[in-house]
Amino acid sequence: MPLHNANLTCWNCPAVDLAGKVDFRACGQSTNSKDIGSGCSNSDSYIMAECKRRPELGLFDPMSITFKECPQYKETPYGYLLKDMRVLILGLDGYLGWSLALHLGALGCQISGIDNYNRRDWVMERGAHSILPIARMTERLQAAEEALGITINFRKMDLLDRQNLKEFLDEIKPEAIVHYAECPSAPYSMIDVDHAVTVQQNNVIGTLGLLFLLRDICPQTTLLKLGTMGEYGTPLTGRPLFEGMFPADAVLQWRGREWSMGGELTPRDPSSFYHVSKVQDTFNIYEACKYWWLRSYDIMQGVIFGIHTAQTQTDPRLNTRFDIDEWFGTVVNRFVAQAVAGIPLTLYGSGEQKRGFIALEDSLQCMTRLICAPPELGEYAVVNQMSGYYTLRDLAETVARIAQKEFKLPVKIQRVENPRVEADRHPFEPIFERLQNDFSFTPSITLDNAIFQMLDILLSPEMKSRIVQKQHLIIPKTWWSGVKKKVESIEILEPSKMSNKNIPSNE
Amino acid sequence: MQRKRSIIIGLDGVPFPLLKDLFDRSVMPHFKALAERSIFRQMESSIPEISSVAWSSAITGVNPGTHGIFGFTDLAEGSYITTFPNFTALKTAPFWEQDTARRSVILNVPSTYPAREMNGVLISGFVALDLKRATYPASLIPKLNEIGYRVDVDFERASESLGYFLQDLDNALKARIAAYRYFWENIDWDVFMLVFTGTDRLMHFLWNAYEDPEHEYHEAFLDHFRQIDAVIGEITDKMNDRDNLIMLSDHGFERLDKDIFVNHVLKQHNMLSFETEIPKNLKDISSHSKAFALDPGRIYINDSARFPRGLVMPQDREAVIGDLINIFNEFTIDGKKVIKRCFRREEIYHGQYSDRGPDIVLLANSGLNLRGTLNSDSAYSNGTLTGKHTQHDAFLLVHGGSDRIVPQKPCVSDMVNILNNSSEE
Repeated sequence: MPLHNANLTCWNCPAVDLAGKVDFRACGQSTNSKDIGSGCSNSDSYIMAECKRRPELGLFDPMSITFKECPQYKETPYGYLLKDMRVLILGLDGYLGWSLALHLGALGCQISGIDNYNRRDWVMERGAHSILPIARMTERLQAAEEALGITINFRKMDLLDRQNLKEFLDEIKPEAIVHYAECPSAPYSMIDVDHAVTVQQNNVIGTLGLLFLLRDICPQTTLLKLGTMGEYGTPLTGRPLFEGMFPADAVLQWRGREWSMGGELTPRDPSSFYHVSKVQDTFNIYEACKYWWLRSYDIMQGVIFGIHTAQTQTDPRLNTRFDIDEWFGTVVNRFVAQAVAGIPLTLYGSGEQKRGFIALEDSLQCMTRLICAPPELGEYAVVNQMSGYYTLRDLAETVARIAQKEFKLPVKIQRVENPRVEADRHPFEPIFERLQNDFSFTPSITLDNAIFQMLDILLSPEMKSRIVQKQHLIIPKTWWSGVKKKVESIEILEPSKMSNKNIPSNE
Repeated sequence: MQRKRSIIIGLDGVPFPLLKDLFDRSVMPHFKALAERSIFRQMESSIPEISSVAWSSAITGVNPGTHGIFGFTDLAEGSYITTFPNFTALKTAPFWEQDTARRSVILNVPSTYPAREMNGVLISGFVALDLKRATYPASLIPKLNEIGYRVDVDFERASESLGYFLQDLDNALKARIAAYRYFWENIDWDVFMLVFTGTDRLMHFLWNAYEDPEHEYHEAFLDHFRQIDAVIGEITDKMNDRDNLIMLSDHGFERLDKDIFVNHVLKQHNMLSFETEIPKNLKDISSHSKAFALDPGRIYINDSARFPRGLVMPQDREAVIGDLINIFNEFTIDGKKVIKRCFRREEIYHGQYSDRGPDIVLLANSGLNLRGTLNSDSAYSNGTLTGKHTQHDAFLLVHGGSDRIVPQKPCVSDMVNILNNSSEE
């Protein structure tokens, strides 16, 4: 079976400059070399391309060489990948950024990255710490060299420092940019006005500035921007959560009339100032692709879980971070930590909220598959990056079941007041077909296996001790209403009351 | 004593008969006066009569089999990948690189992009997609920007509005004139070559305006030539007695009646088929194809020794060429023969790159414009433009050289010889 990107052509390749459009009927050229129209040259005009990697080709038709045929591409398990591809990771020091840097580095990509250590500072500000100790960046870089032979070109830099970022972009001329340099926390953005402003300033203004730099420095690069499934919210109408845009056959009916909705952005329904920042990013990127012929994948990622990847587990200095506090710990990771610490797993409200999820390693797989298959110039594309969805209560019960069965841990589940403004019970029909259908993504990590691996690692005395030190930071204190108080317990579910069922099979 | 300098003025696509007509109508008095005291002859263009081929021949003095430019498009060797050969694909050095002792200003010669180091100044002509890469030395870029210099008009906008096109053309011409004046005064040169390319665009879009005195843009058409004539007058006034002047066009022009789609004709005769209903490019050709065409009428045998899906064995090549020539010799529309002549490669190309050229080149009868379009659903249609190139009636003017150095039936590749001989006389 051919790889998913085998038939893509230079039209999609970031190493290719689309030099302009010509119409030889009148020996003519378009004076606006960026006004390149659609990918297919019509019978009268041609799009001219130049390959930065193969200048000996001169000017040529970008539709006539496929990735499979091009000697600059190599076959990998994730598709044909540009050899020595220059990938810049913004937010390289984070949970995902560091993992992806090592993953892509192991595939032969040339990795560059920036980070200003905001995530370390924010976690420290809340009094928390990464349960897996993470090395300083200098040690990380050295360990990547020593253990994996991966050289990373890293700069300590704020995304908002546009002048330095401009120079860095100019220096490395990235062929893909993975943008993880945003604050990823809804509760952090809801602490108070200062935190809301910090999150929106960093996320929205940082991304907006980046878009202008892409326009000016490297418009051919693929921007892979991390969004969140939370941008869609959980609309009570129960309409499907399509992948960014309505499908071609979607129709709006109103007062006896009908409109095709195909291709329009679907409504967003954010549920925190953090989520609002992500929605604002979506619109900014959508517009920039339209105005400046940029190409971008906006990746609506589900809630992530996991502790190690093939690369991070090779050396303790290569650990990626693992947070469990209320602000930066994701829900599965928090549940596992609570099971290890012997405190009840906390559900907010009914615990019937449904969310999409994806394992860390599967997330890296998706990102790599997307990097292998850039969108067309001017294309703003959205993928819903998740491998399944569950109620939080089902998740808690799964963690409890594995902890009890495999590790003999006495686990309880506790319902507490919900500090968020959200629906406790709601319909949920996410559509997440594109990665599997168009990019051949197959989830490789089951939830059970990931939970088993996390429990296994975190039950070591050192890890357990680090969890216990910070276990008081797991119970939420940040209320969307602004009220300052701890959440009250509503109900503690005894193990005997818990269902013994396996997780629903929607993976 | 003043040193002997050479000036070359190119008028892209301007035909000999049109100049005669404009002389008679007093549109180009300076040119007329110059022609009366110079050698002024009709000239043959290249085959095919395409600017990139013809100017490449003009500046190198050799034919496409030697300089390697066969059209605006070509195929990467051993493949169906469409390429767009530019200056880097030119296999023979242009005259200013052959004699580097002469300091040259080369302004707006087509197919000299990207600009490269030389003794003097080079501002590339079309197709030149980025003015920065079209300029040598780079220190001149700010000056060109200040002038508002542009290589070409915007073809797409011309298709939308003729009024806009004429304004655009006028702006580009005025900037070109400003650039020539600046270089003339500020560069110390031995050879100054300036090509006006707006003429080609004007005649493609408004040949009908030229032919019809009632046309709303008839005067605008003539005005463009008036402006160029004024520059010719200005240059001849500036020349000293020892300077010589060559003027030429790369091909001629005439009214376009019909576009002829050569690949459709090949399909009708089962010589060409594609693997997809609507081919994106030549890579979709089927392995049952015997031949295909590139613009304008360049036919390539789908040779098994040359192309990945080649069908025709080398020993069968001659037979297929014979069949193709028969097909096109018998091709008529409304009882009129379409093809004036089928040239075999061996007849027209000489030199080490001849094998990379087409196997046959078609020359059409008057008014018929050959096209290499892949997706046409008919053999011909009314042309979308109003004027088309001609091969037989470009012009050549030589002032300051004797009749001895100008062939009686010149062709574009004679220019370098004339330049070299006239500067020695």
